[in-house]
Amino acid sequence: MFTYSLAGLEIKSAADGPEEVEENETTARSAVYQVLGAFFSAPDRDHFDRAGQGLWTKELTEAASLLPFPLEVGELTLASDVDPESYSAEYARLFGAGCSEALQIGAEDRDDVEAKLRREYEYFGLAVSTDRRAADDLCTECDFMQYLAFREAATGSDRLRASYRKAQRDFLERHLLSWVPDMVAAATALGPNAVYSWGLDRLDTFLRSDLDYVTAQLDG
Amino acid sequence: MSTEDRYQRRWCWDRVTWGTHCVNCLATCPYRVFTLGDTVAFEEQGGTIEAVAEGVPDLNPLGCQKGSAWSVQLTSEDRVLHPLRRVGERGGGQWEQITWEEALTEVADAMLDTIDEDGVESIVFEESVEGGLLSQAPFLRLAGLLGAITLDANGLVNDLPTGQHITFGKFSCASTVDDTFRSELLLQWHSNPAYTSIPYHHFISEARYRGATVVAIAPDYNASAVSSDMFVPVRPGTDAALALSMCEVVLSEGLADLEFASTQTDLPLLVRTDTGRFLRERDIRSGGAEDHFFLWDEGNGIHDAPRATLRLEGLKPALRGRWPVQLADGSTVEVTTVLSLLEERLADYVPERAEELCGVAASTIRTLARMVAGHRCKILEGFNTPKYYHGDLMERSMCLLLGLTGNWGRPGTGIQGLALAGLDGYFLFPMKTKKGVEETARLLEGIEQAVETMRARDPEATDEMLGNQLLALSASSGTSAPPVFFNYHHAGYRETWNRAEWSDPTMKRTFDAYLSDAVRRGWWGGVARPGAATEPRVLFSVGTNPLRRARGGRAKLLSNLWPKLDKVVVVDFRMSTTALHADLILPSAMQYERVNVQYPITHTLRLSFSDAATPPRGESRTEWQIFSALAKRLSERAVERDLLEYVDGRRQTRHLDRLGDDFVVGGDFASEEVVLDEWVRDSADAGTLPVGSSVETLRRDGSIRFTGLGIFAPGLSVAADVSPTDVMTAFGWHVDKGLPFPTLTRRAQFYIDHPWFVEADEHLPRHKEPPRMGGDWPLLITSGHSRWSVHSMSMGNRPLLGTHRGRPLVVMSEQDAVECAVREGDQVRVVNDHGAFEAMARVTPRVRPGQLIVYNGFEPHMFPRWEGANEVEPGMVKWLHLVGKYGHLRYLPFGWQPVPADRAVFVRLERVEAV
Repeated sequence: MFTYSLAGLEIKSAADGPEEVEENETTARSAVYQVLGAFFSAPDRDHFDRAGQGLWTKELTEAASLLPFPLEVGELTLASDVDPESYSAEYARLFGAGCSEALQIGAEDRDDVEAKLRREYEYFGLAVSTDRRAADDLCTECDFMQYLAFREAATGSDRLRASYRKAQRDFLERHLLSWVPDMVAAATALGPNAVYSWGLDRLDTFLRSDLDYVTAQLDG
Repeated sequence: MSTEDRYQRRWCWDRVTWGTHCVNCLATCPYRVFTLGDTVAFEEQGGTIEAVAEGVPDLNPLGCQKGSAWSVQLTSEDRVLHPLRRVGERGGGQWEQITWEEALTEVADAMLDTIDEDGVESIVFEESVEGGLLSQAPFLRLAGLLGAITLDANGLVNDLPTGQHITFGKFSCASTVDDTFRSELLLQWHSNPAYTSIPYHHFISEARYRGATVVAIAPDYNASAVSSDMFVPVRPGTDAALALSMCEVVLSEGLADLEFASTQTDLPLLVRTDTGRFLRERDIRSGGAEDHFFLWDEGNGIHDAPRATLRLEGLKPALRGRWPVQLADGSTVEVTTVLSLLEERLADYVPERAEELCGVAASTIRTLARMVAGHRCKILEGFNTPKYYHGDLMERSMCLLLGLTGNWGRPGTGIQGLALAGLDGYFLFPMKTKKGVEETARLLEGIEQAVETMRARDPEATDEMLGNQLLALSASSGTSAPPVFFNYHHAGYRETWNRAEWSDPTMKRTFDAYLSDAVRRGWWGGVARPGAATEPRVLFSVGTNPLRRARGGRAKLLSNLWPKLDKVVVVDFRMSTTALHADLILPSAMQYERVNVQYPITHTLRLSFSDAATPPRGESRTEWQIFSALAKRLSERAVERDLLEYVDGRRQTRHLDRLGDDFVVGGDFASEEVVLDEWVRDSADAGTLPVGSSVETLRRDGSIRFTGLGIFAPGLSVAADVSPTDVMTAFGWHVDKGLPFPTLTRRAQFYIDHPWFVEADEHLPRHKEPPRMGGDWPLLITSGHSRWSVHSMSMGNRPLLGTHRGRPLVVMSEQDAVECAVREGDQVRVVNDHGAFEAMARVTPRVRPGQLIVYNGFEPHMFPRWEGANEVEPGMVKWLHLVGKYGHLRYLPFGWQPVPADRAVFVRLERVEAV
């Protein structure tokens, strides 16, 4: 069974339908967003340990096992000379203040971007956790996709399923894919270490594949 | 500062937002609003709308001089900036400024007193079509939560093309305006688009350049006639005779598209010659249906008329003839076709006879008829016809002309009427008990389930018909009530409407008798409210202006309705004539000071957004703020007064202590921006707007093109596919897909066999002279909308006042001026048996002798003694429009109902001697 696990968002208005569902293609997509969201959070000791123990690849492999499209997980090797401090420093070097949509697109007013996103989340019964991440943080946006995909899997309503699918395509087009590819390109140009090189590549590939898949589902 | 600097400063700005004006002009023009600090510097037309179809001009630039001068009104002298309470007599002009707290408490207490003493149906709101959806939704929401009465907006403003409704079962079925470009023949008939349709007028010129012929049919040589190829001067009120004569020519010269007429219209249906009624299934089959009709197949004789489709599927219906038919009881009757009866009628309208009636030369009638029959023809009709007493007959005749010539549902054809589009989110909103997509899905699934249940009972019904059924159901439990009953019982119209000399001579009984008959038969069950015994006590006018608008005049309302009212509450941004007679005025924010959207229309198929470019001036507030605060105050005062619940007029228990919370759904909808965002997202979810639409996309783009007509009745009545790359032509579903019309016979229906119509000899279209409304006087007022103001919205706009005489006018012919000893610029008094007013004479050769034009929109307070032009309008309603429960002739909100006439009022005129 699969359930969602949100870090940057919280449930404001509980949705109808079960909180756990049998694993399938759709929960696999949700699970991948869960892993990628966690991966791109600001690294702490746990993040570092997981990299060292190969847990990121393991979790992504497990999450992606039922994906309806191929996602090559590959290998992630943490170099032996990387310590927790340099691990965190690499994140700061690559992403500065964080992976943020507003910063990436050079928005004049980050509050404005966040307000728009908050409204988007609210329409789907979610609120941004006030004590955690920004609404435009990559992890929060991945959380949102994770939740939409989960609700798509959980709902018994055809209409609602279509609504969740349409919302995913729209969110990918208008948000994640409007800035993440640029962020990936910028970070890649800085010569990321093996860990982030792996993560950036997987993120970029997955988002594009997921959009193709969701679009095909809707158009089909 | 140098002149140059001053000039440059005039055009400086530091912020640009989108704006539109949300007035009742059937346009949705996106403007760029340029703001410097907290002041709007100027606005200009957006011009950003993408072309839709290859080779068809785009909508740009959209706009008119009223929109381009809107910002001036933000600071005009008639702005209301603070809550005001009357001091002294009503209309005395003395006010005191009070706080919002005081104002809301006073209104709340008046409402609670009324609920407690007389019931909630003594609280009456005038529905509005002005101000945008976010001005209307808040008070409709409060009325809905209370179970109060809202007077149907279309019954008030009368933009109801009744003849279109009688024919098609609907009236809001306008193509997108760019379809005009595809016409070969444009008839500007009962419309003056050069004045009233400025944003769209370029399509007429462009069609003309493309080769179309443009014809103006009007009593006067109006501004639209100037740029037409042909001007057809018709005697006022005789357009039915002209149209029917053209029909006669089309049929007698063999020019009719009879295949089109056979499939689309009721012309092949069988009518019993003994009763004049359609031959129904119950006539010939025991237990047969009342709404099942027949035609005569040339191969096999009598045959059921298909109900699920307009396609004839192998049938060859005879259009002319008489045949014997055996009834269920074994007897035999003769039947004929509607076309046979129609041709008998049209014999009265051969061009030479019609020339005597309508004043158009027989040769011109023949020429016009041949032109219509040989071209893709569109009638550009305005809202003038509905305002004639017999406007329904004119429209039925125009529609007949189109039906005989294959002129609807095809590119460049049809008749322009009302043009409402659907915004599903707006319609869903009152039903939402929480925010978000889950609730939307729940509601939509509930609606779909209800529709499927109805479909199971009538598997041959179309989505459009089922949408109407759904609307009818909601009407019987909603707040909306046709104003005819309110006006009859409470506003002093009963005596007027019973004046036989002002009514049609074929009306056999008194108006009283017809009205009580209609009510007794249950034709208006559930909506004939408030009843005679429920006196109104609180009246809300939110952006409406009954003392200017009401046919019947300000004096009638002030002497009959006003004395019954404990509290007249006006919510407006300006000091209208109604505000001047109010007890309390609550100042509302104007467009550019608040978020809003114009009501969606099919003309442009666009939802246009107006942003808050500046803060509201003074203490003005948005309607959402006003009515949510009022709901909260009602709850608080109800608790203080221990008036926690009551039973409304439909025996539903209402809880006042929860009202404030219910209004904002526990805080989910705390502001109008959140409300609008929900409407837009819900509409996108339902497929009416592009996926991903939100307030933010509106804010970015200013205007969004619809992707669908929605699931509710108003949008569906256009019956056409919406394509992102094509023009939309109304009735495409009927012509291309064969989907039936939502009428009794499921065809465009020219024969109405209701006994009242038969009694009045209006079972088929015919011409009737306008009744002598106002008395037997030599001059006739035709009126019309002006170029300078949409209704009274811009009547206080100084730059616009400078573009005309800035005061009310009576436009008259040179001959009448000589006869009345009047000269250009004289003050004249217009008088009839109902009332009188004074205005300046404008003498011109473009008006025909006997005709007066008094352009709509001037406030009564712009006339001497505040006696406006509506003082001479009795506001008669046509008794036949009280018919109900006859197929499509039944009440739906904003739809079929009696509406007052104000065109073709008879008067005399005299010069006012200089004092």
